[in-house]
Amino acid sequence: MATTASFIIVSRNDIPIYEAEVGSATKREDAAQLHQFVLHAALDIVQDLAWTTSAMFLKNIDRFNDLVVSVYVTAGHTRLMLLHDSRNDDGIKSFFQEVHELYIKVLLNPLYLPGARIASSHFDTKVRALARKYL
Amino acid sequence: MGREVSESCIDSLLTEMVSSYCNHFYANKPELAARRIEAIGYQVGHQLSERYTMERPRFSDHLEAIKFICKDFWSELFKKQIDNLKTNHRGTFVLQDNRFRWLARMSLDPTADDAVPQDPADFAESKAAQAMSMYLYFPCGIIRGALSNLGIPCAVSADISNLPACSFVVRIKA
Repeated sequence: MATTASFIIVSRNDIPIYEAEVGSATKREDAAQLHQFVLHAALDIVQDLAWTTSAMFLKNIDRFNDLVVSVYVTAGHTRLMLLHDSRNDDGIKSFFQEVHELYIKVLLNPLYLPGARIASSHFDTKVRALARKYL
Repeated sequence: MGREVSESCIDSLLTEMVSSYCNHFYANKPELAARRIEAIGYQVGHQLSERYTMERPRFSDHLEAIKFICKDFWSELFKKQIDNLKTNHRGTFVLQDNRFRWLARMSLDPTADDAVPQDPADFAESKAAQAMSMYLYFPCGIIRGALSNLGIPCAVSADISNLPACSFVVRIKA
C-alpha cells in the first residue's frame, strides 16, 4: 500500500535540523516542496498547542487536502513533525518514540552542537527503516 | 541506558579537568578557565536534561521544571535529591544540598604559614575558597544547561559558606 509521508525535525529555534521523505509512494517533483511548505505552515499551530498540554504526542493538528500533520514535542521543545495520509495512530506514536530515542543518542555525541543539522547517514538509515516498519 | 561508572573515576575526571584548565590551558586567567568549564557544564546539562525527560510529560511552568531538577535530575546524577528549595516567588530559587557529592572528599587546609595570626588566616581562607569555587563552575553549568533546554534562561551561582553543604542560586532572566 503506497503511503506518502514527509518527516522533519525542527529545533526549538524553528530551524529544521533534519528532513526526509519516508513514504513508500514514488516521489513527485512538486510534491516534495509542497510537503515541506505544509509542515512549516503547521509550526504556528504547534506553537500554540504545545503550551496548552503537557502531553508529548499531539495528533492531527492540521489537515491539508487528505494529508494530516501529527507532531511529537519533546521537553526541550524539539518538534518531530510528520505529514502523512494514513490513519495509523499507534504506529505513528511508536515511530515518534523510537525516533526520539535515536535523537537523544545523536545529542549525546559530544561533537554534535545542539541545534545543528543532523548529517549522520547512520541516523538517516535508521529513521527510514523505522518508517518502513511503523508507517 | 543502564550502564554504570565508578565514582572515583568521575571524581578524578573532574579534578583533572579543573586542574588542566586552571594550570595548563588558561594559566593565570582564572576567569577564562571558569567560563570554559561552565560552558562544558552547559552542554552536558543540555544533553542530560533531554535524556532524563524522555519518559515524562512536559512541564507546565517554571516551578515544575525546578522541582524536576531538584528531584529526578539530581537523583540521576547524585543518587539523592536536593535537601532544601527556597524561592522568593520572583524568579530566584536557592537549591541547597547538605552533602554535595563532588565536594564531599575535598578538605580546606587551614594554611601552613603562621607568621601573622589573623590576616593570613583570612587571606589563605579566601585563596582556598577560590580554589574550591573552581570546582563549582561545572555543576553550575550543568544546572544552567538543563534549565535552558527546558526553556528557562537563567544564571546560576554557587555558595559554599558552610561545607559540606552547598547552595546553588538560580536567577531566572525576566
